[in-house]
Parts: sequence; structure tokens; C-alpha cells
Amino acid sequence: MKNWLICIDDSDDIGTKGTGEIAEEIAHLLANMSGGHASFVTRHQLFVHPDIPYTSHNSAMCFALHSPLTLAEIHQHAVAHLVAESAPAADPGIAILDVDSHYDVAALMDFGRRAKIEVITKAAAYALAEQLNIQLTEHGGTGQGVIGALAGLGLRLMGSDGRVKGQIKLGQFEDVSLELSVADILEQTGLDAVMSTDKYRLVLDERVQLKGKVKAVYLDHQFVLLVHQEAEQWRNAGKQALQAY
Amino acid sequence: MELNLVEHAFELKDGCWIFKAGLAQYSQARQVAKLCTCFIPDDEDEQVDDEPRSCYNCQYRRWMVAGFECLALRHFLQK
Repeated sequence: MKNWLICIDDSDDIGTKGTGEIAEEIAHLLANMSGGHASFVTRHQLFVHPDIPYTSHNSAMCFALHSPLTLAEIHQHAVAHLVAESAPAADPGIAILDVDSHYDVAALMDFGRRAKIEVITKAAAYALAEQLNIQLTEHGGTGQGVIGALAGLGLRLMGSDGRVKGQIKLGQFEDVSLELSVADILEQTGLDAVMSTDKYRLVLDERVQLKGKVKAVYLDHQFVLLVHQEAEQWRNAGKQALQAY
Repeated sequence: MELNLVEHAFELKDGCWIFKAGLAQYSQARQVAKLCTCFIPDDEDEQVDDEPRSCYNCQYRRWMVAGFECLALRHFLQK
């Protein structure tokens, strides 16, 4: 079994399946075919600038895979799905990193950081991928998605960037709240921790009131449910509070 | 789309219809989306407002550094 990080970007368009959903499908596909395990998918915000040809937002989707598959097998199956599911007008790219290999992790994280604040070229992405021995390929359109795909690997490696794709559904609704202990939340969701927005880590017997849409973030290399305190009661953080991630 | 809505909430800059209120102005974004006939919710992962019907959650908003451009308005007014 080896450890991989896989990131895709720029596979969607208005009215088509989102990049996050495609990433999640690839994660399940690869895990199921190999008896391996795929992590949650994380969404990483990239720079929004007129010179970057994103449609409505600019984000990359990344997941970890623990699998006996080879790089060639992962690439073959992931690309087949990416190509089949990408929007016709999309510019998809995919990056695959062997996490156990020797590579310059600082350079990769620096690339991710830069992609949040400046315009980066495809040539720069390919040059770094070659230097770090990362498989980086494009699959249609302008292929601009390779920039975000490579940046997403670096941001995921940083350990405190991104929201977890999807919602956590434990029986709460918009108008029906549900109170659970931290231990129950962790057991039922597979998350690693429950933390306040100012980074206090809740202990297992503390209780949290969940209501509406509940989402997690990637923080301190863990999948974390963010909460805030309101009238001495811990509650799940809303979308506005999660925007910083 | 109501032209009054356009005039009040957006301004034309370099061919782009920019939301005048900018970022994090949730009540305005919800009010405009409520009246808008083009609203389509974006992927849940791309939504940033707790209220689902909000311009900030719409597939037609294109994020910019200080706000967003309405792509629906651009297409609507071109026709």
C-alpha cells in the first residue's frame, strides 16, 4: 500500500457536475477497485483575478488515497473518469503525488501559497511538477486546470487550508436542531476533532448543538468540525464563518 | 430580469456587471436574489451564505477580488 495525494481542477462549467463531485467519485472509484481507502475531499480556494479564466469561482479539489495501485493505474482510471465527467467547455487538469517519495515539500507548498495570491502560468506548473516528479496532466480545453491541480497538492500538504467537500448529515435540519456529544460526532462522521473558531479543542464529553448545514474544514492536518459558542452552548459554525478556509 | 434591479444593485464596469454592495453584504445579496428570475444555486461546496437564495450562492456570480460579476446579467442584456 502506498500513500497518494490526488488533486483536480477546472472540470466544471455553469450547470454541470461540480469539480468536487467528480473528485469524490474518483476517490471512491480508486478506493473501491483496490481495497484501499480514500480520505475526505478538500476544497482549496485559489486566486480570483481577471487574468485567470475560471468560470465563477477558482478552487481545486484534493484527496488522499491509501492504495496498492501503481501510479500508472491511478492515472489511467482517474483520467478516464475525469474526461468522461468534465464539462465540454472545461479545462481540466490532474496532479498525482507519491507522498512517500522524496520531493521538495516546501517548494510545493510555496507554489500553493502563491496560487492564492498571484497569477501563475502553466509553464511554471509543469516545470515544478517535473522537478518534484509529480504526474501533472491536462485533459481538454486550455488545460489551465493543471495550475490549480498542482497548487491544491501544496495547499493540502500545508495542513490548514480548505473546507471539506459536502455536508455532515446526522439528523439535523434547517429548523430541527440536534444535540450530540463530541465523541458521538467523531464516531458518526469520521472527523478527527471538534474545535472552536479560536482553536479551542473540545473534549469528548462536551456537547454541541447542530442545526442547518454542517460543514467541516481542514485544520492542523485534521478534518475538523468548527463550532462557536452562543449563550454558553456550542453550535456548528455557519458558512460565513467557514469562508476563511 | 427587472431592469430596476439591475440599476439599483449593479454597475457596468469594463463590460462587466458588478454587484455594487461588494463582499459580505448578505442582506443585499439575498434581497436581489429573491427578485432575480435567473437565480440558480451553485454547488453546495461553493456557497458562502447560510441563506440559500443569495447572489453569493448563485452559479452566475463570478467572484472577483472585491466582489462579484453577474454573468446572468451579461448574457441577459446581450440578447
